[in-house]
Amino acid sequence: MLQLKNYNSSILKNINFQLKAEQNLIILGSNGAGKSTLARLLCGITPAPTLLNNQYLSKMNPTQRTKEINYIPPKLEIFDEYITLNEYLDLSRLYSLLEPNNLIKLLELEKLKGKPCQELSSGEQQLTMIATAILHNAKITIFDEPTANLDPKKSRDIFSLLKSNICQTKIIITHDLNLACHLGYDVMFMKEGKIDFFDSSEAFFTESNLDHYFGSSVKIIEEGNRSTITIKLTN
Amino acid sequence: MITKILYLLISILILLAPFYGQIHIDPYQLSTVKSIDFKLFWEIRLPRVIVAFFAGAILALGGVIFQSLFKNPMSTPYTLGVATGSTLGVAFAIVFGFHSLVALFGFLGALMTVVVLFTVTLRLKSYETNALLLVGIALAFFYNASLMILFSLSSESQSFEIIRFTMGSVDVVGLSKTLPIVTASTLLLFVTYWYRKDLKLLLTSNDYAYLKGVEVKKVNTILLVSVSIAVGVSVSLTGPIGFVGLITPHIIKKIYQKSAEQLIFPIFFYGGFFLVLSDFVARNIGSNSEIPIGIVTAFIGAPFFIYLIIGKR
Repeated sequence: MLQLKNYNSSILKNINFQLKAEQNLIILGSNGAGKSTLARLLCGITPAPTLLNNQYLSKMNPTQRTKEINYIPPKLEIFDEYITLNEYLDLSRLYSLLEPNNLIKLLELEKLKGKPCQELSSGEQQLTMIATAILHNAKITIFDEPTANLDPKKSRDIFSLLKSNICQTKIIITHDLNLACHLGYDVMFMKEGKIDFFDSSEAFFTESNLDHYFGSSVKIIEEGNRSTITIKLTN
Repeated sequence: MITKILYLLISILILLAPFYGQIHIDPYQLSTVKSIDFKLFWEIRLPRVIVAFFAGAILALGGVIFQSLFKNPMSTPYTLGVATGSTLGVAFAIVFGFHSLVALFGFLGALMTVVVLFTVTLRLKSYETNALLLVGIALAFFYNASLMILFSLSSESQSFEIIRFTMGSVDVVGLSKTLPIVTASTLLLFVTYWYRKDLKLLLTSNDYAYLKGVEVKKVNTILLVSVSIAVGVSVSLTGPIGFVGLITPHIIKKIYQKSAEQLIFPIFFYGGFFLVLSDFVARNIGSNSEIPIGIVTAFIGAPFFIYLIIGKR
């Protein structure tokens, strides 16, 4: 169980967050609502009284902590200009039984193996980071906008990866409502630093709710028994 | 293979360096204990080359560690004011008559600066790496002002001593004097190797390192304190010698095209060689008196470094 109680800061207001073990979650919210800030508190990058299975994350021993939680930021950050994709992935080889080479093949990164991470395109960097999440294989992985830089085909590949049980528990921050809707996880909506909604996927993706949160900018299209959400650029 | 041959060749060059100077030493005379050649070699030339090598090694390795931990290609013990802090400590010891404790004061000056820098980094956001450089520059101004106060308090001979010191010199007499710097550099090399894997993670980003289980604060502290001990020992012996720490890591990285933690030994070794070479030039170029080594490193280093930066584009 992951918990953060009565937390306040300049960005976040009165946060009471609680996630049961093995409960997957989608976090939605407009830009600047505090999603990433919350994610960094939950994984302990920013010090906070986060509780994981009733134990303070900050007091856990580092090895134990790496087994429990991992965070994948929206952008790959790397200082050294010569660390290659392969070396970068190697650093994340912690608890997965998967052979890194198979994963590299699966994500079509073979040609880039020896290339410095700094020279990868933003989409390639995004795939690299998702690969590190899979190799790390923590019990909870927080993905911060995992599909933001991907082309439609890659987005779809990542969707099926996320949908499969290749990672254990997932918290996914996204703006992609289609992804959110089709994954079917519980949904949390953040607004101006507050948790405004926390319920099941079915409860969130209703016409009236979408209207309430996104105005007239999105629309649900029913196709047989599946629903797709589109963004309306013009009225 | 090529790197090994290079190591061998350069090692031979370093070993030959003590034989050349204003007076050439005859190798055959070295077996005669009473000869002038013997004394010159063991008491003056060899200690000098040893100090040059290990001081250069410390500055270069300290440079790459600072660049890695502070995530800024410009940050080195020299540019961030650690060497200046050390100089201030040494000047303080000279002016207030603690001559026997010069090394200790040099070390304290370095450590004090590291404490300031480290406190500042904890308050900075990860993207504000340039702010740290500004702090380093501000510190340098502050130290220079303090140094001026010490000058005004000092006697003429003390002033001269401080000025000679700030020019940098690897002039030491007696083999036993080299012991502290040899120990300090070996320890620094050992500690860096020991934390090599953590260092690699820190070379990506502090967040990534944290998420993979590195105790970022602890490792940072251990490495920074080790560097400041070594730099403190080195500066108290040789004075502030700039540039080796800044350019050696950059040059070695450009040549090897590998991440910094795989280059610990080459940076250590070639940093040492660079100072031995600079000292060799300093000793042999002038006809009467030698040029201070700091001047030679700057004369060789600055143009080469600018060439390297322009060549990058």
